[in-house]
Amino acid sequence: MEAITAEELQKTFKVKQKKKGLKASLATFVKTEYKEVEAVKGISFQVKEGEVLAFIGPNGAGKSTTIKMLTGILYPDGGRMSVLGLSPTRDRKKLAYEIGTVFGQKEQLWTHLTPYDNFMFFGKVYDLGEKETVSRIEEMAESFELGSFINTPVRNLSLGQRIRCEITASLIHRPKILFLDEPTIGLDPVVKENIREFIKKLNRQYNTTIFLTSHDVGDIEKLCKRMIIINNGKVVMDDAMDNLKYNYLNRKQVEVRLKEDAEIKLKEGVQLIKNKGLERRFEVDTKKCQVNELLSLIDGDNIMDVNISNIPLEKIITEIYKR
Amino acid sequence: MRFDNCTERKKIVVKNPAKKYYYIFRVSFMENLQYPLNCILGFLSYFIMIFLFFQLWNYIYGDASKVIAGYTRTQMIWYVIFTEIMWFGTRNATLTGGMSRDIKSGTVAYAMNKPYRYPLYILSKYFGEIGFRFLLYFLMGSIMGVVMLGNIPAFRFTTVVWVLPVILSGLLVNSLIRICISLLAFWVEDSLPFQWIYDKLLIVIGIMFPVEVFPKILQPAIRLSPIYAVTYGPAKLLVDFSFEVYRQVLLVQLGYLFTFSVLLLLGYRKGVKKLNVNGG
Repeated sequence: MEAITAEELQKTFKVKQKKKGLKASLATFVKTEYKEVEAVKGISFQVKEGEVLAFIGPNGAGKSTTIKMLTGILYPDGGRMSVLGLSPTRDRKKLAYEIGTVFGQKEQLWTHLTPYDNFMFFGKVYDLGEKETVSRIEEMAESFELGSFINTPVRNLSLGQRIRCEITASLIHRPKILFLDEPTIGLDPVVKENIREFIKKLNRQYNTTIFLTSHDVGDIEKLCKRMIIINNGKVVMDDAMDNLKYNYLNRKQVEVRLKEDAEIKLKEGVQLIKNKGLERRFEVDTKKCQVNELLSLIDGDNIMDVNISNIPLEKIITEIYKR
Repeated sequence: MRFDNCTERKKIVVKNPAKKYYYIFRVSFMENLQYPLNCILGFLSYFIMIFLFFQLWNYIYGDASKVIAGYTRTQMIWYVIFTEIMWFGTRNATLTGGMSRDIKSGTVAYAMNKPYRYPLYILSKYFGEIGFRFLLYFLMGSIMGVVMLGNIPAFRFTTVVWVLPVILSGLLVNSLIRICISLLAFWVEDSLPFQWIYDKLLIVIGIMFPVEVFPKILQPAIRLSPIYAVTYGPAKLLVDFSFEVYRQVLLVQLGYLFTFSVLLLLGYRKGVKKLNVNGG
């Protein structure tokens, strides 16, 4: 069964318009003008159970609006959607037992209580028995390494500790789908890695479907097998990460440090993107020109150092955003 | 056109729905036990208010044996002690500014994908927040009254048992009114002015003076108002219990509980459809 199905989802917001100045402010008092903003313009996609999907796009693309429709927070203006066979708008309460959500900087924990008390609270909210909740807390405290601060009030925790607790709280009830909106924002690399490992384990062990939005390319690269990119309210790309890499990573970056300044004649498929002192950086389209062909254009005795790397995924994504 | 479609509906059994709201109340109660100093400092304001009313009514009565609007001086001051307990012991930003802010900012949306109903969650949280404070005010206010005035004339402890459901219903009616006012934030820029109007009506009509003090022409309207159910009813019954007044107050309270519950349900359902949660 498909975990998530979205067909031609649409959402339009009415945004108040006000011209600048005192006169305009007074005019607004009498007659308010609105502008319609189409945040989502007919998005369609399906997510299989157990999939780990990156749902990304530039700021204002419509990704958070889409997640909010899928989790029942917003009502769509058009289209169809179903999550685990349920309607997010009509069956919101039933769906709540099956999904977990972690929304960026939105806190859901009681700040003056300890994480342990918070987890017990969420266990009750999701109608889990006490023994089951305690066992779940112990399991996740070990996986997430929460032991050292599980009995410290949340307000005294660091950001990284707090976010780990936020994610743990959203997993108490073993949701079938986990919606993560910027889960690693503001975290140090070690903690980010811990969280990524846990999410991977969650997916492997329990076949939890992961629906991730993130601006952190590391999250996307290390967690997701498939990526949907949206921009201006529409899907611009929906493909497996392997295909993405195959289609876009035919380009390589070659950095060359010369011993002496020299002019290098370029050929088709080679682009010079940096020329500073004795350093040259080329972008090579390997469909048109191989790396060794480029290197053969340079006098071998004049080469001090060569570094060959893939085009960063971030750059690929940025180019797709600009489409 | 808004619509969505599902090929299959799952049936999920929800266990003990009331239990989770009790737990929300309990956790909120626990969290607010972290603020004992707030309660104690707040009591100073209450003490000053009662002291002022004590002096005021002493001056108005002049002679302790005088009766005004059916109240002796002792009964009148005890009335104000209890109505001020209802005021000070239940004052809290959760149902007013807090809820209004949640709606305006869209934070309410993040409660919508939890398996509880936001208005009931807020209600449970609120009662947890005021629980300890209200009990403390009730105890301290009663002790203060006994020290200043002696016992309530003709008071029996069994009266408290009868009046307890009236007090709780009064608190609930007050909470439902405040929630309904806060729901206006779905439609207006700021619902706090409406809270302010309700506060002032409560103070003038329900706290400072019993209904009997007002001109006879206004009394029927006041007896039908929710303020009669929130403050006057419980305080009057504690000070001068009668089954006739008890039946009247309970009837008015039940009427308002039903009315405001329906308003809340309809208002919330309509309001969430208007929710506009921008940004990621």
